[in-house]
Amino acid sequence: MSIGSWLEERTGWRSNVGAALDTKIAGGPSFAHVFGAVLGSILVIQAVTGILLAMSYSPSVSAAWASVAYIEDQVALGWFIRGMHLYGSSAMVIVAGLYLLQSAVWGGYKKPRELVWILQVVILGVLMLFPLTGHGLPWDQQGYWATKVELGITASAPGGAYIVQLAQGGNDMGNLTLTRLYAIHALLLPALVLILWLVRRALIRHHGLTPKWNAPDTAVGYFPDQAFRDAIAIALAVAALIAYTVYQGGAPLAAPADSTVPFDARPEWFIRPLFQLRKYAGPLEHLAALGAPVVVGGFLIGLPFVDRSPDRSPRRRPLVMAALALGGVVVLALVGLSFRDDANDEDLAKRVAWSEKRAAQARSLALANGVPPTGGTAVFSTAPHWQARVIWQKACASCHEGDDRKGPLITVGYGSRAWIRGFLTDPSGDAYFGRTKLAKTDKAMKAVEQTGAELDALVEMVYAQSGAKDVDAKKVEIGVGLFDSVCSDCHEREAGKDSDPGPNLFGMGSLAHRASLIANPAAPTMYGAHNEMPAFAADTTESDRAAIATWLAWMQTATARDVEALGEP
Amino acid sequence: MGGAAPRGEAPRFQRSLVGKESPLADDSASNGASRRRFLKLATCALGGGVGAAVAIPAIRYAITPIGEKTVSAADDPIDALPLEQVKPGAPPLQVTLVAPVQRDGWAAVKNVPLGAAWIRRDTGGTLTALSAVCPHLGCAVGFDGKQYVCPCHDSTFALDGAVQAGPSKRGLDPLPFEVVEGRLRIAWVRYRLGGPDREKA
Repeated sequence: MSIGSWLEERTGWRSNVGAALDTKIAGGPSFAHVFGAVLGSILVIQAVTGILLAMSYSPSVSAAWASVAYIEDQVALGWFIRGMHLYGSSAMVIVAGLYLLQSAVWGGYKKPRELVWILQVVILGVLMLFPLTGHGLPWDQQGYWATKVELGITASAPGGAYIVQLAQGGNDMGNLTLTRLYAIHALLLPALVLILWLVRRALIRHHGLTPKWNAPDTAVGYFPDQAFRDAIAIALAVAALIAYTVYQGGAPLAAPADSTVPFDARPEWFIRPLFQLRKYAGPLEHLAALGAPVVVGGFLIGLPFVDRSPDRSPRRRPLVMAALALGGVVVLALVGLSFRDDANDEDLAKRVAWSEKRAAQARSLALANGVPPTGGTAVFSTAPHWQARVIWQKACASCHEGDDRKGPLITVGYGSRAWIRGFLTDPSGDAYFGRTKLAKTDKAMKAVEQTGAELDALVEMVYAQSGAKDVDAKKVEIGVGLFDSVCSDCHEREAGKDSDPGPNLFGMGSLAHRASLIANPAAPTMYGAHNEMPAFAADTTESDRAAIATWLAWMQTATARDVEALGEP
Repeated sequence: MGGAAPRGEAPRFQRSLVGKESPLADDSASNGASRRRFLKLATCALGGGVGAAVAIPAIRYAITPIGEKTVSAADDPIDALPLEQVKPGAPPLQVTLVAPVQRDGWAAVKNVPLGAAWIRRDTGGTLTALSAVCPHLGCAVGFDGKQYVCPCHDSTFALDGAVQAGPSKRGLDPLPFEVVEGRLRIAWVRYRLGGPDREKA
């Protein structure tokens, strides 16, 4: 006895499958009947990709972004699976919407199928909740801000404050928001869809699917004619989904969520009509955003009770057809207008470009260094010279960068031979000490008059103070000789010796010298009485100063492109 | 298309789609069986194609962790303690080896305890560093004043790490160490569990 027969005896699978395959389709096989099968196949893809994503996803504020970046960049085909899941969710809403529309045109809501229809409207609504609960999960800028806005709109509905507290798990968005969104998205909604689908199937068993209004009064078995059409439609839909996912290079992932960094959040495309309507509604924005879905939902659910004639021909139901057409056109127009507005907004394009650059930087840092356990935004702190650059922006940049600076310009090449040469020949030049008060007095350093080989020697001597390894000892020796005749009236070069009016050159440009200059530039070995720079001993730690000194040493040989590559702190 | 065609007669739409020569277009009753077989094969082929297009990437994704070092730290020796604290002839000391940075999936975590080592110097001054992971099934091995004892399955080990009793098939695993500027530095190594041979995991 074959295994098949053995199983047949115990399970009856052959007769069950056979009966299922021979389910009679009213009106006979048709490509118009494929929507259910296509939707089912997309739901299966959503389940498969969703389970795979869940294997590498961690729903917590500190880990969510990092785990999604990990999926994108470090799990084999992670970008593809996540892309399929995201675009699959759109496909799901589109196909379910078309299915519903077909049912409306065919009069599928008419007696005795009112409840089937309402169930389908509810299922479409639940399907829309998948993207709405899913897009916050990566905890990137896009998801974070879009969720924030949606919760804000929900809060303005009657009783909305409670819904918001339930959805976000308390008074503000945080860890509990993610765990709840995740539980709703991955457990509650799938269970709900499954239950609703089972109920619908039971009703369909009772009533049969609605055939086209003018279909002949015949019924043909599902297999093979309808099955073949279904297979073609499914293959086309899945091929389109795969092609789109590959074309897009997977799903986007913005920079980690940061409540202090603004972001142009956009809702799902199917929420765009509300987003656009809001713009026109002015002070009534909340009413529009909340009212429109109620009107649309109310119309759809009320439809079977308004259009009660048994006639299913669209030609004899012009009002319903007109309402459907008008609704469809308005929704599509609003989606189109919203995308057009965005496409025409040049400022938006700049902000988007900036955000995308930041996202790319966060991704590459996460790939190279991993994400610190404090959370997604901490990935930026793994960038080279991060600590120094943050302090620099806060404490140093205003005096050493830009047009309003008061001190010497500090940028790439600072402390290099070329910089020293420029400084020696024009100490009060604009890029050097020209902006200081001292520069405007007769106490300012005089330009060095040496040229040619002598100037080279002086430059090398000053450069050598930093302890650099690549010095020309011969030149330094000549430079030291020149120092005694040219510089020593104002400068010392012996360790620890007080120097006036100019600073002691010993160790100048070395890490230790820079760190101690930052701590106390008015020290007698530094600028002494002529100092104009604030002391940072109290406001910075030793590690901060060492970091800045290292950063400056890096800048000495860096190019503008190197700095650009570090990104903004 | 009404789709009311009885079996064997394809609707008009389909005929124009597939052409006269196709079995789909063949509407003679005698060919109904071959047409049915064609549809069955085509349906299975399409279904199989869709299934493969989804299943192959899915499987590739799912098996990513195989052979992957998802949790890792540098192999460098880790600073443990000043050598002078390890007195010759004294009972073994347990030290925790803390990695400066551990990559764990997406996270890079600082100061992560990787494991423990038992350190001892015999009266001759010879230093041994033993992994506190029981070579049997990986429980943490303790010291009862005379010998090392695994609490899970009662393997016992002598001071030099050799098995004395119990199910362990080999002695405690030694860890490579070095002494730099008076400080003992120990490298954390995980060995394969269970067998009599010592292989890196």
